[in-house]
This record gives sequence, C-alpha cells and structure tokens, in this order.
Amino acid sequence: MSENTATVGEARAPRVVLVGLASCFGCQINITNIERHLLAVLGQIELGYWQLTSSEPMPEAFDVAVIEGAVTTEEAAETVRALRERAACVIAIGSCAATGGIPAMAAGDLASHVEAVYGDGLPKACGVLRAPAPVSAVIDVDFTVSCCPIDPFEFVRVLDAALYGSNRLDVTATLCGQCAQGEGGCLYKRGQMCLGLVTRAGCGAKCPGLGRACNGCAGLSPDANVTAARAFAASRGFAPGRFDEALEMFNAVALAPAGEE
Amino acid sequence: MLYRVIDRADLPSLVAAFMERYEVVAPVRRGSFYAFEAIGDFSEIALDYPTTIASPKKYFLPATETLFEFDARENAVTDYVDEVRPRVLFGVHACDINGIMNLNSVFNDPRYPDPYYRAHQDATLIVGVSCTPGDTCFCHLMDSEEARPGYDLFLNAIGEAFLVSIGSVTAANILEGACDVREATDADRAAFRAATRARQEAFNGAIPDVQEIPMLMDAFHEDGFWDELGGRCLSCNACASVCPTCYCFDIRDTLDPGAETGRRERVWDACTSPQFAMVAGGHNFRSTAAERVRHRMYHKLNGFLATHDRSLCVGCGRCAAACKVGISPIEVLKFFERKGADDGE
Repeated sequence: MSENTATVGEARAPRVVLVGLASCFGCQINITNIERHLLAVLGQIELGYWQLTSSEPMPEAFDVAVIEGAVTTEEAAETVRALRERAACVIAIGSCAATGGIPAMAAGDLASHVEAVYGDGLPKACGVLRAPAPVSAVIDVDFTVSCCPIDPFEFVRVLDAALYGSNRLDVTATLCGQCAQGEGGCLYKRGQMCLGLVTRAGCGAKCPGLGRACNGCAGLSPDANVTAARAFAASRGFAPGRFDEALEMFNAVALAPAGEE
Repeated sequence: MLYRVIDRADLPSLVAAFMERYEVVAPVRRGSFYAFEAIGDFSEIALDYPTTIASPKKYFLPATETLFEFDARENAVTDYVDEVRPRVLFGVHACDINGIMNLNSVFNDPRYPDPYYRAHQDATLIVGVSCTPGDTCFCHLMDSEEARPGYDLFLNAIGEAFLVSIGSVTAANILEGACDVREATDADRAAFRAATRARQEAFNGAIPDVQEIPMLMDAFHEDGFWDELGGRCLSCNACASVCPTCYCFDIRDTLDPGAETGRRERVWDACTSPQFAMVAGGHNFRSTAAERVRHRMYHKLNGFLATHDRSLCVGCGRCAAACKVGISPIEVLKFFERKGADDGE
C-alpha cells in the first residue's frame, strides 16, 4: 500500500481536493455531518478544493483527490484523468463513484433516457454525454469508500489509510455473515427480498439490522455468486427477474455484459 | 458429580441470586428467533428455546475486541484494560458447552495462552440446560450430546423439576442459598433416564450416523462433491458467524478521526472469507470457494481432532439454518452415506 500513501514524512500537510461528479452530493454532505470530528480531520490536511464549502479554484498541485459521483460526460472523464495525473492517490467515495450507482441505471440505453428527458434538444450545458460509469472505469482508483451514502467515519478511516497506510485488507465476503452477527434473523424468513446475498460486506449490515432489506449500495462483491443467490431468492418466491431488477439500482455496470472501456 | 433437585418454580429466585453479583445472559425471543442477550428479569428468559441464531461464543471471543490503545504523539501503548464483566451464561445447551470447551482448549494452549480470552472465561459462570433436539441438531453424532465438564450448574429437566448437576463450589453456594434444594431420589434418577432416552429418540433420523468421518474426509479430499458445494457457496461467512467453535480472527489497527490515537482490535475472521488465505505478495492459496468450503469442513470434522482429540464441530446445526444454499456438515455426512451406499452396490 505504501506506493499509494500520499505524503508520509513530508513537512507540509498533505493537500487534498474533493471533486463532485454526477451524484446527489449526499456523500459530501455526509462528511460535514461529523461535526465533532471535522476539525480533527481537517487539521491533518490542507484542503485545496471543495466546491461544496468554498469557491476557491482547483489548485495546480495536490496529493490526494477524493471523487464523488459517476462519470457521465466526456468532460467528467477528462476531469478525472487530469486528477489522476496530478494526484498520488485517488479515493472514490459513494456508490456513484464506486459502481456507477443510480446514474448508471441509464448506462444500458442512454439514448432513450436522454430523449425521454430532453426530447430532441439536449442543452449544451449537459456537455457530451457518455454511458454513466464508475470512476474506476476511466482511471485507476487507489481506495474506495462504498455505500449510498458513505459512512463518514469509513471515509475518515480510508483517508487515514491513504495518508498513513493501513494493515486492513479490502473484504470481498458478502453481507449475510455480518448480518448474522447482528442476530436479527434473515429477512427472507420474513418474506422480504434482500440483496445482502451478493453485496460486499463492510457496512455492518445496518439496513437489515433495522429490518430493511439490503439494496446492494455497497456494490456487488467480486466474489458474489449471483447464480446461486438468484436460485435461493427464487426458492423463496422472488423470480430471478425481480432479483436482477433490484440489483440494477446500484450495480447496473457490474451486471452488464463486458463493456467498452 | 454432585446432584440436587430443585422445582421449576425455584428458577426465578436462582436467577435473581445470580443477578446480585453477575450480569445474567440468557436466551430471549426476538421475533421468530432466539438470541443470547443480557436480561434484566427472569421473565425475559425463553428457557425452552430450540436454538439461537448465533452461539454464546461472543461472550468469550467478541466479534470486535480492543486489545490495546495507542497514542502516536507519546509513542505510548495502554495495556489491556477492557472491562470484563462477571457474567452468568444461563440456559446453555450441551452442544454449546462442548463448543466452549473446544475454544478453551485452543485459547488456553500453554504454548500461546490468550489473556483476553482467559479474562472472559475466568469471569463467566455457565448454567446449562437440557434440550429437545430440533431438525438440524446432530450433537449426538459429534459426541457433544452431553456436557461432562464445562459448566457450573447443569439443569436437567425432569417434569416440573430439575435434576441439577453441580460443577463448581461458587455456583453450588448460590444454588443452595437461593433455592429449596433436595437430594435426588431414585424416582428423580428414573425420570432423568427417561428424559435422556426421550431426547435420544427425538433426533432427526434423516441425518446419517457415519463412522470414521476423519478417514472419509481424507479419502474423499479430491471428490467433485466439494466443487458442488463451492459452486453454490455465497462467500458470506454466515456459517462462521453463527458457529460456536469458529475461532479465527484478524488483528487490525483503527485510528481515531484525528489520527493521533487509536486502537488495535481483534475481529472475527473466517476461512470461508475469500481473503483469508491471502499471503504477502497477493498469492491466495485457497482462492476458490470449493477449496474454502472443503477446508472449513476438514477442520470441523477432521483437522481439529488430530490435535485436540475431538471433533471441532459440535453438531449444533446453526450453520445448517444460517446457510442459504444448504452447505453444512449435515450435507457432508449425507454425502459419505451416499458414497457408502454406492460402494455397497
């Protein structure tokens, strides 16, 4: 991990920029929600750019680029490539940046979505549209903070990992194991369809713990066994089509047959 | 072993007596499931529970436990100071007591004694209770149907009374002080034998009694059966989360938001986790789910036996209930039975 660690040993504080692409900005807002710890976090870095909180322009040089949102235009693709060139470390935050998220639901058939919204006249301000994609589809990403929205403490943990290194491996186990630790009982036994079967663990299974089915916002695990999960859901009365449709909300790109980029 | 008899009506005062000096943890109902939880009153206890979602292991090996705290400014480490509560686990089934015995033999291994585990163990009294096996129970096939040592009291239900096996002086004193105890009579002993026979007859006959399991695990190590199980494994670790005897852990550092102080934590890990066997350089020596599932079963039904002289699996059946895709030692036993039937043809 050391090659991705931004600035250890340097005299100045690591310079961090925070960029929002196609998203609801909820993950950025959620970072501001840890008021009690915000000064402690900001005290470790030099915040070079954060449109949500300041109109200071993007600096020339920085160490860490934090990116929220999906890449939905050629301009955005250019932006993330430029960030990658300058930053020692890139952190993607939130479902949109990590999996394509909600915007990527349009990835399969962009033209018809554009037409439905804008008719013939796509405003110039939209830029040059492209199929919505996660940041990792355009550039290499060093760290990812999953979920919609992110857990701000998880963001701070990952930022610290980027700044100082970490002895933690990314997990690819799926969610049921963490959920079982909470001992709330499987939601399928209560007649609910839950996507924890194939979703990456790490969030602590907060939603199922509150009786609400997992919607897959942490992203499809690379080790997910979607075939077996579909079969299980079907055995509980949820047709594979329903399962796949639910999964598309946050994982349209991962589920699509091998894409272009 | 010392035996005494108490009436069922004595239980509330027994629990109240424990509560004076201990946190009491017992099975409670949660919707249509049961879980071990700290209780505030006897009425919360569901003593006739079939099983709980997860085992009482969490009171000996918490899912996350701080080992020490550090302060980077001072370059200082604060010794283990986690609060260990004096606790009574009330209403533990024999399989789980045997599971705890297995954990004890791992964490008290004189070569690497574990002070964190030991602190919990020393602060915990165990009160067992007899049970009626459910559909996924197979403790009798794993030599865990009875708890021999490993408890402070064991309540054997005999009608409206309990034949209490006494395992420690501490618990005996509390029992004597709280209940109207009497000597066991021949009738009590007869009732106990009848209850034991009734339990033995209640096991699910569809779970086959297979001899020489460790030998069969070796013999069928390369069988395609493991690919079948691996092919449907969801890689979720639910089996390990609910298991009374999975004891693997990872150790990691967690910084506080200011990154100047933090904690070294021990967290549950599991051999079914895809990263479990990843080593320096990124090589993963069990990179497929089939290898991971086989490894798990191997350790449960064979590997542990070689070092500790008993099966690690205690047949509690929780993994069979927790696994969405029907992977459990029960399936392995059925596979061996099918193989035996094939050979006989």
